[in-house]
Amino acid sequence: MARSGFIYGVAKRLTTGPPIYYAWVALLTLVAGIGVVAYMKQLERGLVVTGMTSYVSWGLYIGNFTFMVGVAAAAVLLIIPAYLYDFGPIKDIVIVGEALAASVLVMCMLSVTADLGRPDRLWHLIPGLGILNLPSSLLGWDIVVLNGYLFLNVFIPGYLLYKAYHVKEPNMSLIIPFILLSIPWAVSIHTVTAFIYNGLVARPFWNASILAPRFLASAFCSGPALVIIIYQIVRKYTHFHVKDEALFKISEFIAVAMALNLFLLLAEFFKELYSDTHHLSPLKYLYVGLHGKNMFVTWIWTALVFNVIAFIIFLIPRTRKSLVTLNLGCVLIILGIWIEKGIGLIVPGFIPAPLGEVWEYLPTTIEALVTAGIWAIGLLIFTLLLKVIIPIETGEFTRESRASA
Amino acid sequence: MTKPKDHFADEETILSQRGPGSRDQRKRAEAADCALPSRRSFLAGATALFGMMAVGSCSWEEFAQNNFQRMTKEEIDRTVERLKREYKAKYGKEFVVGAQRPIEGTLFAYGLDIQRCIGCRKCVYACVQENNLSRNPQIQYIRVLRFRNGSMDLEQSTIYYDPEKVPEDGYYYMPVQCQHCANAPCTKVCPVRATWSEPDGIVVVDYNWCIGCRYCMAACPYMGRWFNWTDPYIPTNEVNPETHYLGNRPRMRNVVEKCTFCIQRVRNGRYPACVEVCPVGARKFGNLLDPDSEISWLIRNKRVFRLKEELNTQPKFYYFFAT
Amino acid sequence: MKGIVRNLGLTSTLAALLMTAAAVCAWEGVAGTRTEYEADRPPYQVIPPQQDPGSQEFPVPVKPLPLTITPCRSCHGPEKDFKINWSRSEILRVHTGIELKHGGIKVWCLDCHHPSERNFLLPLADGQLIPFSESYLLCGKCHGTKFRDWRHGVHGKRSGSWSGEKTYYLCVHCHDPHSPRFKSLEPLPPPSKPRTPQEKVAAH
Repeated sequence: MARSGFIYGVAKRLTTGPPIYYAWVALLTLVAGIGVVAYMKQLERGLVVTGMTSYVSWGLYIGNFTFMVGVAAAAVLLIIPAYLYDFGPIKDIVIVGEALAASVLVMCMLSVTADLGRPDRLWHLIPGLGILNLPSSLLGWDIVVLNGYLFLNVFIPGYLLYKAYHVKEPNMSLIIPFILLSIPWAVSIHTVTAFIYNGLVARPFWNASILAPRFLASAFCSGPALVIIIYQIVRKYTHFHVKDEALFKISEFIAVAMALNLFLLLAEFFKELYSDTHHLSPLKYLYVGLHGKNMFVTWIWTALVFNVIAFIIFLIPRTRKSLVTLNLGCVLIILGIWIEKGIGLIVPGFIPAPLGEVWEYLPTTIEALVTAGIWAIGLLIFTLLLKVIIPIETGEFTRESRASA
Repeated sequence: MTKPKDHFADEETILSQRGPGSRDQRKRAEAADCALPSRRSFLAGATALFGMMAVGSCSWEEFAQNNFQRMTKEEIDRTVERLKREYKAKYGKEFVVGAQRPIEGTLFAYGLDIQRCIGCRKCVYACVQENNLSRNPQIQYIRVLRFRNGSMDLEQSTIYYDPEKVPEDGYYYMPVQCQHCANAPCTKVCPVRATWSEPDGIVVVDYNWCIGCRYCMAACPYMGRWFNWTDPYIPTNEVNPETHYLGNRPRMRNVVEKCTFCIQRVRNGRYPACVEVCPVGARKFGNLLDPDSEISWLIRNKRVFRLKEELNTQPKFYYFFAT
Repeated sequence: MKGIVRNLGLTSTLAALLMTAAAVCAWEGVAGTRTEYEADRPPYQVIPPQQDPGSQEFPVPVKPLPLTITPCRSCHGPEKDFKINWSRSEILRVHTGIELKHGGIKVWCLDCHHPSERNFLLPLADGQLIPFSESYLLCGKCHGTKFRDWRHGVHGKRSGSWSGEKTYYLCVHCHDPHSPRFKSLEPLPPPSKPRTPQEKVAAH
């Protein structure tokens, strides 16, 4: 009885809303639909429809995956202060951050699946039924940590919301161990993802121990930046209250993370430029072009300029605490990191190829559409989750309210 | 890598004049061969599970097939029989799909005399024919690198040289293929153990177990692995029906493949095709565990080197200078 | 051992022409299915491995001399007995097809060919004449390290089985003894370039 009441309530909440909600959901559904059609085309004709070649054998899908793992990992930023130090304003909003992490994890998994040649053989990855090559394959580890992280990010907010729906106090001694576990786990997902690339001796661009720290630093910029924007949208359209202080607190984290990110980039630049070995070639390709191939140069400089401007915005308290400049900084960071940590990280790993050839990569329309579709699916999941979560959080949607309705 | 600009413009001409079957012919043939099944598979797949669509004609037996390393004798026999039926239906020939186990006491290694190699690419095309490599899109396990005398800088090398005659003055050649590393970076990254080193040292792929993630391609420092971005095309009259399950049997789309030292030949005592065809005898092959083999003798007596030895991949592919 | 090889060589010289056809058929048996690249082999004939493995050290493919100039003794011999030309000249008056480019300016026909026994090459220290089918023995006289490498299968080419019976290519199969430098070849076509943004090669 209670369960069917909950399902009915959820269904009702998902199907009612202001016109902009319908428009937004319709738009996302449309883009997701186009993405699915594009993916069907890819299944029909093979990965030949992508821009990938034997030289650059990973592209937009894996780049997008890498970026999104960073966003998902950034949920840790919200968990640490919210749960451990009981920093008031953030605690209110951490559940939304975790819902974002869960949605983004779905996007991560969709991206990897889109990149797989044989999705029909995904069952080969299931231990027991198939073979998950542990401990030696980092991709195997990544599957473990991503699924574990997805579980944590569904279980923790799920439990808290369940209690809130039933208007009960959560049993903190049950949930605290999971919360504590989720902190190193968040670090682990991005570290393991970095190690996927990091461990390959064939690719000097990735085979540098600075890679994992840089991954984390940049993730701690892009993830929270996305969160800041989402919260402003959420509080505009719902009764969910997010204090400005919470946003400004997050932006302080971003300033620190961006400083670290730029410092690590400098360290990488110094090492490669000063030693001036063949390992400089991918960096050369990325920033100035190699053997006349320079498709990426404009992109990466754009990313660098965006990151530096955003860093300055977040560094100065006045601009950090003005919502206009704050939002500008967030957008710049998201774009900057998306370029740098997305295909800006993946593609130069393949250029030049291990036998010295320089062949570039540009995603095809199909790849772009599939990626857009994955974003749309993720955002759709996130939107629908929020539509249910926020009323529970604010106490509008509880068992009692259903019973009385 | 320095390539003259006009090479780009000339590519079509070169291929159509001198390729084994012009590009247009190959394209037409491919269209005739593949258009129908792929369209049908699309329609069938649209109603099936979305993952199943990638295969279309994939049977339940094929879908549920086990990893080769875990198969029992009966499972192997059954699979081999099924493959023979499928290949017969597709190519109209009786196929041999071998599943020979490694020969006791063998560890294969390869020697290549870079002082002898003249860069004629006969090995490249012998390999294509022996191993049923896709003609379009083109897959060639062997890349013949041309270096200018006095340098072994990979970035300055090219594989696209096309003079009237080889060898050319002022250059030397170095063919590169899978190096069959003892400490292979590619096999350890595979998330599903679809690729591994056999006891006789051959690095193989179970094409029916590979999920197509291409992690091994990112891991290989020698570009030894190739991916079938779409259905491989082999002209029916050129297909080689003498195959091995882990070797040259025709592959399917979206899986990784690689040189197997011609496992279908060497496990039957024969030399690999590239050794057989080399007009200058630059290619040597044999058993490292046999002290009297050619390869053992040359490692003992000649100055050898292995490509990118600093990566500790421990290739079983030795370049040497015979003189 | 060397003697055994040479004795066999004597008989095989005489048998070479007769065995030509048989050899081709037998080769098919050894190599199994002949694929196109195997047909790419040089057009000389190959003697299949002997039945009795103890009869020689290794099987040897033999290149018969052209019918037009054999046997040499029909010109250089007691019947016609052309004058022996001991001194080197740039242009050969007879055998005009031969370009002598071996070992720089000093090498002359009679450094290898027996001056009076023209069906043979000069002997080794044991005094036994060397038949043309075993010219590698004479080659080894100067090219000792190459000869050693060749005997271990490291110089030159072998064909067949890595573990068992194989045929060896002799020096003269790849090197014209009068002009031993390996002849240049037309290379097979370069690989096609990948479909990348700059190339605008049509997608499949």
